[in-house]
Amino acid sequence: MSRDSHGTRGWAKYSVGEFSLEAQWDIPPGQVTALFGPSGAGKSTTLRIIAGLVRPDSGHIEIGGRVVFDGDTGTMVPVHRRRTGYLTQQFHLFPHLKAGANIAYGLSGAKSTAGQDRVRQMIQTLRLQGLEDRYPWQLSGGQQQRVALARAMAPEPDVLLLDEPFNSLDAELRRVLRSEVRAMVVQSGVPALLVTHDREEALAMADWVQVVEKGRLVTEGQPLDVLGQPGRGRVARLVGVENLFDLTVESQNPRDGTMICVGEGIRLEVPLDQEGSGPEPEGIQANPIPPRRVTVGIRASDIILSNTDLRGSSARNRLRGTVSAVEARPPGYTVTLDCGRLFQCNITGAAMAEMAIKPGQELWAVFKASSCFLVQE
Amino acid sequence: MTRRHVRAPSPSAGRVFGSSAGIIYLVFIGLPLAALVFSAIRQGNILGSLSSDFAVTALKLSLVTSAISMIVVVLLGTPFAYLLARSRSTLLRVVDSLIELPIVLPPVVAGVAMLMAFGRQGVIGPFLENLGIALPFTAAAVVFAQVFVAAPFYIRASRIGFQWVATEYEDISQTLGLSPLRSFFRLTLPLAGPSILAGLGLAWARAFSEFGATMMFAGNLTGKTQTMPLAIMTAMESNLGEALALAVLLMAGAVLVLVALGLATRRRWTGHL
Repeated sequence: MSRDSHGTRGWAKYSVGEFSLEAQWDIPPGQVTALFGPSGAGKSTTLRIIAGLVRPDSGHIEIGGRVVFDGDTGTMVPVHRRRTGYLTQQFHLFPHLKAGANIAYGLSGAKSTAGQDRVRQMIQTLRLQGLEDRYPWQLSGGQQQRVALARAMAPEPDVLLLDEPFNSLDAELRRVLRSEVRAMVVQSGVPALLVTHDREEALAMADWVQVVEKGRLVTEGQPLDVLGQPGRGRVARLVGVENLFDLTVESQNPRDGTMICVGEGIRLEVPLDQEGSGPEPEGIQANPIPPRRVTVGIRASDIILSNTDLRGSSARNRLRGTVSAVEARPPGYTVTLDCGRLFQCNITGAAMAEMAIKPGQELWAVFKASSCFLVQE
Repeated sequence: MTRRHVRAPSPSAGRVFGSSAGIIYLVFIGLPLAALVFSAIRQGNILGSLSSDFAVTALKLSLVTSAISMIVVVLLGTPFAYLLARSRSTLLRVVDSLIELPIVLPPVVAGVAMLMAFGRQGVIGPFLENLGIALPFTAAAVVFAQVFVAAPFYIRASRIGFQWVATEYEDISQTLGLSPLRSFFRLTLPLAGPSILAGLGLAWARAFSEFGATMMFAGNLTGKTQTMPLAIMTAMESNLGEALALAVLLMAGAVLVLVALGLATRRRWTGHL
């Protein structure tokens, strides 16, 4: 883009009734920051504060190199002068306007040559050719969201606010649109703030992730650091680690970099933590050490379900259990396996059909030691 | 599974009752209307009766007063309806539920009430008289009576229309750079348009046919306060042909309003808000 690129940064405090929110962000141009957390965490409110739709109690907000809000000086730039692009879950295309007119809506000189060029450009970028004269309800969900994106981007906003914009689309379309939006952000150099509670989405789109809960920042960092192997128990629960077990360290095997943890009928081989890999790595035999409690996390999608004991496989953990529940969770299924403790395992629809899993069935849960990670409370 | 075995409702019983009730109803409504048109034609020259001074004066007065009433209703009613649609205050909720009171109030009562307010012995009448304003038995009183009884139809319909326009649309319009006022005219108003027009049509029909409140508050003065409905009543006593001609004209107008409403409120995107 020819425009000077600016990021957006700021902080804001806002409270209404019991709910209070403290947010702060610093998004460089062309980067996506994801606000990740459960509903009711105040993620959307943060977007609305940046857009100017909600006035915070205090704060300082900069967009496009301008101060648009400052609680101390009383600066409050109204919504329509903030140059924000706002994308919602339901698209909210204006139903009385055709797709082309929707895209042109925010252009000041929509009828000018420049305005028409801009509309044509957006239509081309988002592959909407031939749909200009359709009304919103004549478009598919994906096309609607593309038109909404084109409409938001046409006036060249200084920040893009994405409020769970892909939620009402199917999984396949979501993946496509994620990369399209991501590409558009990078190419246009606009900073973007994405609200989501979908781990995969945050991993696919974000350069930076903030995990929020009840209006507070819990942690932030690179997507893989925060969402890949979440360090803290609360974070782990928030980002959706389905299996968390409080276990006691039974023995350590520094040569393999693993240790054995037991508790309530299960026995897991997990990676050694820092404390264990202490100063004596030569110890081959498992040394007796004082009992130490650890929390072990395993993601549901990292567990393999098998009809037989996969003896002879490289997986270090094989647990026999009984299926206690099967739950459809599109695009796949979640099987709850009772191995003394309950394990949540995600499998695909095809696997589900092939194995004909029913409650009461006996199955093996198989996973690598390295799929387990230690969670610090 | 069980649904497949449920027998389709027997066509006989329901249909027989339904269609007989329908026929009775249609005859009940249709017969008088047909009789009206038939009698008017039999009485003679409809166009001649309508071009009499008496008829033309009443028609003009009705058109002018109802048009002014509608301007007042739109100017006051639109912003108020919007406020009602958007506000969450308890006070406005209460006001909202009372807004339709004039619809259920007998028009005669409305007329008496307005006399008690603006009449010579009314609450603020003497004050107005000091300012040189005398409302009762003037064309202004006709407008007052019409606004009083007709405005609720408009306000209710527009409020519903505005409520259908989710605030997210307005939010997005503003993020796209349109001020709240411009957003209202380019987005909210067109989207609520069908409802607003429907309300306007109903309000106009109600204002045009206003009788009781006008009679009480404005009187029946030819050329000054004698609108079409009052003219019909007056003509019934002296010139039945004239009364019938005016009645047929009003009926034709009502049919036109109905058709126009149907057209105005049909939008392809209705149901896609």
